Amino acid sequence: MSTRETARRGVQSMYRKGAAVSAVGGLLLLSGCAVETEEQSGGNQINLVVPFAPGGSADGTARQLAIEAEKTCGQDIIVRNETGGSGTVGFQSVAASTPDGTTIGVAAIELSILPHLGVSPIGPEDVRGIMQYSEQPVAVGVPDSSSTEDIEELLTTDEDVTVATSGTGSIYHIGFAGGAQVAEQPNMRNVPYSGAATAVQAALGHETDAVSVGAAEMAPYVESGQLRALGVAGDERVEDILPDVPTFEEAGVDWTSYAILGLFAPAETPDGVISDLNECFNEARQSDSFAGYMDNLGFTQEYKDAAEFDAFLQEEQERYGPVVDDAGLRND
Amino acid sequence: MSEWMEGLNALADVQVLAMLVLGVLIGIVVGALPGISATVGVALLLPFTFALEPLAGMILLLGIYGGAVYAGSIPAILIRTPGTPASAATVADGHAMTLQGKGVQALKISVLASCVGGFVGVLLLAFFSPFIAEFALGFGSAANFMLALFALTVIASVSEGRMVKGLISGALGLAIAMIGLDTIQGFPRLTFGSADLLSGVSFIPLMIGLFAVSEAFIQVERAAKLNLRMKPEKFRATPAWLRKMLPSGMLGSGIGFIIGVIPGVGGDISSFVAYNESKRITKGSSQYGKGEPRGIAAAESAKNAGTAGALVPTLTLGIPGDVTSAVLIGALTVHGLQPGPSLFTGSPDLIYGVFAGFALVYIVLFLLGWFGTGLWVRTIEAVPPKILWPTVVVLAVVGSYAVRSNIFDVIIMFAAAVLGYVMTKGGYPLAPLIIGVVLGPIAESGFRRAMMIHNGSFVWMLEPIPLVLGVLTLASIGFAIWRARKKPVLLTSTEEDKVEGKVS
Repeated sequence: MSTRETARRGVQSMYRKGAAVSAVGGLLLLSGCAVETEEQSGGNQINLVVPFAPGGSADGTARQLAIEAEKTCGQDIIVRNETGGSGTVGFQSVAASTPDGTTIGVAAIELSILPHLGVSPIGPEDVRGIMQYSEQPVAVGVPDSSSTEDIEELLTTDEDVTVATSGTGSIYHIGFAGGAQVAEQPNMRNVPYSGAATAVQAALGHETDAVSVGAAEMAPYVESGQLRALGVAGDERVEDILPDVPTFEEAGVDWTSYAILGLFAPAETPDGVISDLNECFNEARQSDSFAGYMDNLGFTQEYKDAAEFDAFLQEEQERYGPVVDDAGLRND
Repeated sequence: MSEWMEGLNALADVQVLAMLVLGVLIGIVVGALPGISATVGVALLLPFTFALEPLAGMILLLGIYGGAVYAGSIPAILIRTPGTPASAATVADGHAMTLQGKGVQALKISVLASCVGGFVGVLLLAFFSPFIAEFALGFGSAANFMLALFALTVIASVSEGRMVKGLISGALGLAIAMIGLDTIQGFPRLTFGSADLLSGVSFIPLMIGLFAVSEAFIQVERAAKLNLRMKPEKFRATPAWLRKMLPSGMLGSGIGFIIGVIPGVGGDISSFVAYNESKRITKGSSQYGKGEPRGIAAAESAKNAGTAGALVPTLTLGIPGDVTSAVLIGALTVHGLQPGPSLFTGSPDLIYGVFAGFALVYIVLFLLGWFGTGLWVRTIEAVPPKILWPTVVVLAVVGSYAVRSNIFDVIIMFAAAVLGYVMTKGGYPLAPLIIGVVLGPIAESGFRRAMMIHNGSFVWMLEPIPLVLGVLTLASIGFAIWRARKKPVLLTSTEEDKVEGKVS
């Protein structure tokens, strides 16, 4: 390589370096902003852990709630997803963090189910509820062309019924299995899929005879005429989205099962911190923008305060124990 | 036709068009950085769209989606580090071309094929989605299993010449995929009591470690200068060159779209399948695996056609075709729009605006990508290796951590890097491992679900779709055996190529 060429290369590479440096600098600036906010706030921020994947109902509602709660709580709220093991990873991460109100998590009913499955050591007794903000009953439906008329027929038939759910041990599995157990129906078989959407797809494609998901997740397909909802496992009918669908109770089966969303903190969090968090998140929950968001999704807002929420999770855990045993899922 | 006018009308809006260009630019940056996948990019920008009109928000996210899926191939070609999982199939040929001094050509094929694939995919989406949605619904567990089995035969193709090592690599991938709660019964497998392993080995950290960081190790060890040799190359896209690329590109577009449509299978694998089929239709001796432009054309067109394919079940049925489109559903529902049949009748301006906008995304992406090629090369060239490779490692750490804010994923990433390093040194191809990790769970859960639904009987194998796929699988294995037996002839022909190369 001649000297002149080297020199030319040098100039070129300096020029190029400039471009590259500015590009990298821009990126650093971007990432720097994020780092700075986190450092600045230090103790004055809340980390909200979502134990489920981005895009799902837990993630969407938590992010929307956080936008409002930043105003009502007067703190920055950093939402992050820590997914895995049906929520186990996120539940554990929150339960093990400093109990000072700086780290809280999104609670789901899996808190009451996973300990029975031997998957997660974290149960209701390892956490403290802050509030519950949403609930929807489990709904069982069939493809529109199915010959099954109603929930009584489904719960008494002698034929095999395959039921698509969002996973083994998920609330939609335990929800219908509990109903079948009360009705003494041994012929309903769980076929687990990777989520509520794929479970619905299985029923739409006639791969399974029925599907068990949340009422809000089923409603759009009932509206479009592709699915028929047979029953909901709620205390009363879901008037706003599935008004014509009877409860299990109406069909003579005394069984309820709800998918819930709420907030929780580590077990040792002091009472004062819990009540402060409850107050400002409850205010955020009642804001117009959050209420509108929930309406759009077809989710029912159903508030429980910290004590009620704790008691509810505990009760549900006791109720689901026998169902898990009956389904042969216990794994200690 | 009036719906199209409404759609185009809605699209002709300053805010929407600005979001389109912005989305594509963000997408390119996101895709080109190793470890930040299209899904992460779309999820990060999702809250921002809440404040926008529904169409503008969707177009922004689709711009990121298309841009990121394309741009993952830029580092795959230049530094052997796929920016997103879908670009893994481009690594072998793309980087080989770079080493041969044909990096610019490889990048141009990549952007051209990506955009043609994406554009063709959007056309299929716009005109045939209701019919295709029916097909997607009929594609049940049994068919998923058979498709995964068929795709596994790709391993034979990407490890030609070192079949045993390829199979070992593939089996290792399948074994890695078994770690964690099993997909059917939720039983912990190979977790050794660790809560971190319950959710299995995360795919993104595994891939970053295996490709990007192991490559960084090798480069640092060699202390070799990055030999891009871009300068002397004068590349022109001649009509003859385009004609040569066309069959592979069209094949890739079709395969990518169809695999993209099937919910739960995901586009990551479609580029490998397209690559394999393109290799199969190419007559005579070829350079597949050693810098074959047609291989890049097939893989690239497939991965972007898949982005449009994934929207078919998303928009028509409300069932996400892949993870990214699951996040897109969130962008619609926040505005009170429910994906599904009612979307087509209720808001035609939005849905046809989305179709036209997504097509426009690929046109804009093509212009930016085609003329930006020089910039990508200069950016990489300008960074000396002693800065480039440590930067890759830093980005890999950040990217692995960012997936789900878990330091364990960073450990996984480094473990994968060591594994990738050892495998590369030992001559084990990496692609089969990735194929195994992706396909293992699909095959397993498909098989087990089919068995559960049919109460332990194998009758599902005789259903039309599984049967056809089964026959194709056998044919594919047969073809691989036939090729392997023919190998001595191939060897001599490549040797001839070498001799010719020396003369010219």
